[in-house]
Amino acid sequence: MASYYDIDDILTEEELVPVVFHKAANGVIIDPSSETNSVEQGAKVELPLWLAQELHWRQAVSISAPPCFNQKTRLEIQADAACVDLRSRCPYFYEFGCKILPLVGDKTIEILLLSAFKIRYKETLTKAYTAAYTATSKVLTLLTREETNLYEAAQSSMAAFKKWRMGGPRLQRASVLGRKRKPVN
Amino acid sequence: MAGQSDPHVSLFSAEEVEFIAEDEMVEIVPNMTIERLNFISGDFGPFLPLTVNQVPLWLAVALKKRGKCAIRPPHWMSVENLTKVLEEERDSQGAFQALPFHYVEISRLLFDHAREDIPDIYLVRSLIEDIRDVRLHKVETSLEKFSGTSAVKIPNLSAMEVNIIRPFVGRALQAFYKHDNPEKIPDIDRVSSGQSRVANSEPPRRPLRR
Repeated sequence: MASYYDIDDILTEEELVPVVFHKAANGVIIDPSSETNSVEQGAKVELPLWLAQELHWRQAVSISAPPCFNQKTRLEIQADAACVDLRSRCPYFYEFGCKILPLVGDKTIEILLLSAFKIRYKETLTKAYTAAYTATSKVLTLLTREETNLYEAAQSSMAAFKKWRMGGPRLQRASVLGRKRKPVN
Repeated sequence: MAGQSDPHVSLFSAEEVEFIAEDEMVEIVPNMTIERLNFISGDFGPFLPLTVNQVPLWLAVALKKRGKCAIRPPHWMSVENLTKVLEEERDSQGAFQALPFHYVEISRLLFDHAREDIPDIYLVRSLIEDIRDVRLHKVETSLEKFSGTSAVKIPNLSAMEVNIIRPFVGRALQAFYKHDNPEKIPDIDRVSSGQSRVANSEPPRRPLRR
């Protein structure tokens, strides 16, 4: 589970979400291109999740579903989840979805996440254990962070097993032993 | 021991699993008289020539290296038994045949150190490799059937096979759990206002699925 210092968790909260301000706010520079240092009521801006979340709890903004959960992506995921390039849309698709879910109050996101993960999980599994290492770079570009972790876990344990099976030097030389003596001046 | 190697890769490395497997008992036939050996793990011997003794695999390998004994291959390592197991592995799609928990490691250690003690070593070795490949393939196909959080039961899986799939399965099940039960994400209890109430008011979903 996510901890305070989890870098993936922090990066997930950096993702932008579209929000609508319910209240005018003075003295803030949220949009650098605006002329004044204030945000008007009803303004639509994109804020990182951590800020949007705090403002949402204070009833200052309302959050709408971010672009990676729009209709177009949903249709693509329904068509063939395994081929959708989720990494370019949102590298933390699943975690982000879980975080945005209670804020948007859209139950369909939950179903979307689960169905997408189910299908992509199978794809990741078959690729991870069967594909040759050279063929993997293309697959990896489509995967989200979580799927990449899964994939690498599978690959590295398989590689470790193969290395063990091939054998080789049983004992490793301690790094201290290989060191040469310093020349005495 | 566990986690000392590389914490990200797996809980145990293959070498560590092999180390654990060395505690399995094997039969040896000494070819000279050796007095009783006292170790922390127990006392073994005394050994008399041509009398069968039960010793751990590590001791058997150590004695074998010094040319003091012959290792008797375990009963399951016979050509007839392995052929039977291989056929049954191929026939049954879902189930795994009963083999010793450490069969991969034991067979490799014996192939490395006691080649001349195993009859038909080339046949035995290729049979075991075939069995292992068939089983690994079956593990992968059974992993494909995961769809949601559920108790996973794969009987007769061996130590090395479990060790290979452990990092992947652990993460995958955690992810399935997370997406299957979004209500249980700890952040949610902090959310108490606004639209989120709609999302929380529904009855909790069944935690276990088939």
